[in-house]
Amino acid sequence: MALDYFLLVFIAAIGLYQIVAIPAGLKGLWFFRQPKVQYAFGVLAIIGAFGWFYTSAERNIQHTIEGSQQLALFLGAIISAYFITAILASIIQAAVCTRGDTPIKGKQHDLGMETLKTTTLFGGILSSLRKQREKGD
Amino acid sequence: MPPLSGWTLWITGFVDKAPALDHVMGFLANDFIVPVAIALILLGLWVGHRDPGRREQLQKALMNASVAIGISTLVVRILNMSDFWPRPFLVDDFVIRESARYAAQTVFYLPHDPSFPSNAATIAFAAATGVWFSHRKAGAVLYFLAFLWVFARFYAGIHFAIDLAGGAMIGVVTSIMISKVFMPRTEPLPTLALKVGRFLYIA
Repeated sequence: MALDYFLLVFIAAIGLYQIVAIPAGLKGLWFFRQPKVQYAFGVLAIIGAFGWFYTSAERNIQHTIEGSQQLALFLGAIISAYFITAILASIIQAAVCTRGDTPIKGKQHDLGMETLKTTTLFGGILSSLRKQREKGD
Repeated sequence: MPPLSGWTLWITGFVDKAPALDHVMGFLANDFIVPVAIALILLGLWVGHRDPGRREQLQKALMNASVAIGISTLVVRILNMSDFWPRPFLVDDFVIRESARYAAQTVFYLPHDPSFPSNAATIAFAAATGVWFSHRKAGAVLYFLAFLWVFARFYAGIHFAIDLAGGAMIGVVTSIMISKVFMPRTEPLPTLALKVGRFLYIA
């Protein structure tokens, strides 16, 4: 049950990140170039995750997942889904896009997620490292 | 017996009248489906705003909601120590007990933890109230989900109406206190937490 719960949240969160990255303009999380395709992917992932979870086994049974355990599993799933999304998007965009990453203006720790509007996670990390090296030189 | 216990007899009387409704209620009453939906909405609000200023405001509201969920859960744990009354399917009254037992076995299962106050109602209403102050539309959706969740659990005969009302009240009051009184006094801690989050690309 715990693994199933983790997978439910993990898959649904990946779908959710694809959907909310469209209005937020966080292109660094996009798997697809077309927002419509991305939206469809997100919706399918969420519906699929809930559908699979509820139909794959009897879920209204006495279980042993305590509230605190549920919270830990949820947090683990959404954080890992976020980084998997960012890593996959970095790989996909590096393979598909011919343009280079737009250099980040400002400090990464001031921008945070905002960085993902103009670059991918890998691009952001590389840019930060480059800046630090230039400072060191 | 708690007040309004007759309502349990009335609502559980509907079980088995329409199997499709029982399925829907079983889906909604589930321990995972609605809470995950609520949490995903919170997650969507955390990430999904274009304007960084507005996003930060929402993220602070979500931190308030999360703290409120934690504190209200603690309040429920403390209240659970004094056994107010048993679950509807364990009471002395034969008619209520058997009606609730049949409903719970048909729609849900027979939980063993204390009945009052409802943990589900507490968590769901604390989350909805925490969000309501910063995002009315999302807050309304969360209140709707919270209502569906607690109604389904009432229909399933696992809670008395007063358990759910009590839980909802604890959630709402705790969330108001946390959002309006406690958290504003903890600055700059929430801002620092967001700064750490930004460093890790998660805020």
